[in-house]
Amino acid sequence: MGSEARKRARERIKEQREKEKKAAKRNRTLLVVGAAAAVVLLVVGIGYVILSSDRGDGYEGEIAQQTLQSDGSVVMAQEGAEAPVVQVYADYQCPACRQFENLNGDTLKEKAAQGEAIVQFHPVSIFAQQPVPTSSNSLRGAVAARTAADHDVFVEYNDILFANQPNQQEEGFAPSELQEWFDGLDTTEEQQADFAERLEQEEPVITEFTEEYVPALMSAAEQEVGQDNLRTMVLTDLIAWGEENGHDSSFLEGTYTGEIIDATGAAYTRYSGENAFSGTPSVYINGEILDNNATMTVRGLSDAIDSAGPGEVESEPADDGGGAE
Amino acid sequence: MTDTVEESPTDPGTGRSRWETVQPWLTLACRVGLAAVMITAAVTKYPPALGVEAVEAYELFPPEIAELIGYTLPLFELALALLLLMGLATRYTGLVSALLMVAFIAGILSAMARGLSIDCGCFGGGGQIDPAETTYGLSIARDLGFMALGAFIAIWPRSPLALDRALGLFR
Repeated sequence: MGSEARKRARERIKEQREKEKKAAKRNRTLLVVGAAAAVVLLVVGIGYVILSSDRGDGYEGEIAQQTLQSDGSVVMAQEGAEAPVVQVYADYQCPACRQFENLNGDTLKEKAAQGEAIVQFHPVSIFAQQPVPTSSNSLRGAVAARTAADHDVFVEYNDILFANQPNQQEEGFAPSELQEWFDGLDTTEEQQADFAERLEQEEPVITEFTEEYVPALMSAAEQEVGQDNLRTMVLTDLIAWGEENGHDSSFLEGTYTGEIIDATGAAYTRYSGENAFSGTPSVYINGEILDNNATMTVRGLSDAIDSAGPGEVESEPADDGGGAE
Repeated sequence: MTDTVEESPTDPGTGRSRWETVQPWLTLACRVGLAAVMITAAVTKYPPALGVEAVEAYELFPPEIAELIGYTLPLFELALALLLLMGLATRYTGLVSALLMVAFIAGILSAMARGLSIDCGCFGGGGQIDPAETTYGLSIARDLGFMALGAFIAIWPRSPLALDRALGLFR
């Protein structure tokens, strides 16, 4: 009887010890998991603050004078500014270009307004060869921006286009939207009528180009010059090849659609070697291409501009002197 | 009768099975390997604006959430790498890493199922690409491998050079 009781007591003590051991282990686990969670919060929190500090704080000030150039690009600079020339090549359908605009659009405006940079915007269409609607969105956006440049509101319109960038797989930048955005800017009724007329003229050109001309040209070229050669040809080369092989591109002459395609081709031929133009967004300072770290961070772009010497704009202002106030 | 009790051969010196001797080192190798993967993944996603674009290409989140993920995901990967290297909460870090891979795989599968042509953005890059250049299969296989590393760590967390040991866990 007595030994039975002792045995039970021993078991109780053993159970008690097991429990304490388990509780201690649980506490240790909780402590370690808590410490790990603290490490995660610390790394993510501090890192987030550091990364976010690079985001600009917005620029609401004056926009420097905009001058349309004969090649369809737009120079944004203080009059007579002696500063580095920052060339920006962007496609309105390119998501990375929208990121660039979100991040550094204000940096460029501020630098130009303070006379610290001469910014030259080149609207291009690297997607003009892609299937519809990617190609048609890209061209329609660029053409609308080019038209806005006629009325000295390119920079403002550029912002609106990027803020409303369509999905690459969905029809976007509808003419009615493009018009609405233009009308919402500081524009006269006469300018709005001009804008509407231009869009109306360009729309069938874009449709013919993206839905008939390019598919026919591509399939002919694929057969005759081969896939591998085709891949090395930029669109303007391809159009030149088509010209000799019965693909008439004269419908592009004198249109803004044609001008955008030419501007894109010119970007490919303007630079070579390390500075070669291979996609958008591409940012050049005095002819030297910037890497992603400089393009896609506010500090990177600011530092690159600040450390560059003055440059010369190579293009000429357009005949009609767009940008004159 | 006697040889069915312990299947793995026993080291006469320590009385430990070969598995018990080898496993901690395997776990250490998994920790270092997975940490290297996480650090590479985090660093190549810089600058964050490009990471945001990669997240947006999945078309799964509204822009604000995509931006938040673009900024914080690489930091989270970095934090997991740090924990793996320190050997802190090893089991749970392994588990969370494996679950992260499951989430990545789900994201890639959903992009595939919706017919998107994107780069997974796993190690930088990301965004729309030519449909002929998609490598969903490769990306998923890679993530399955990383998931296996995480799972191994979660199942056998005991390893040398770990803070856990000093704190009395997984000795």
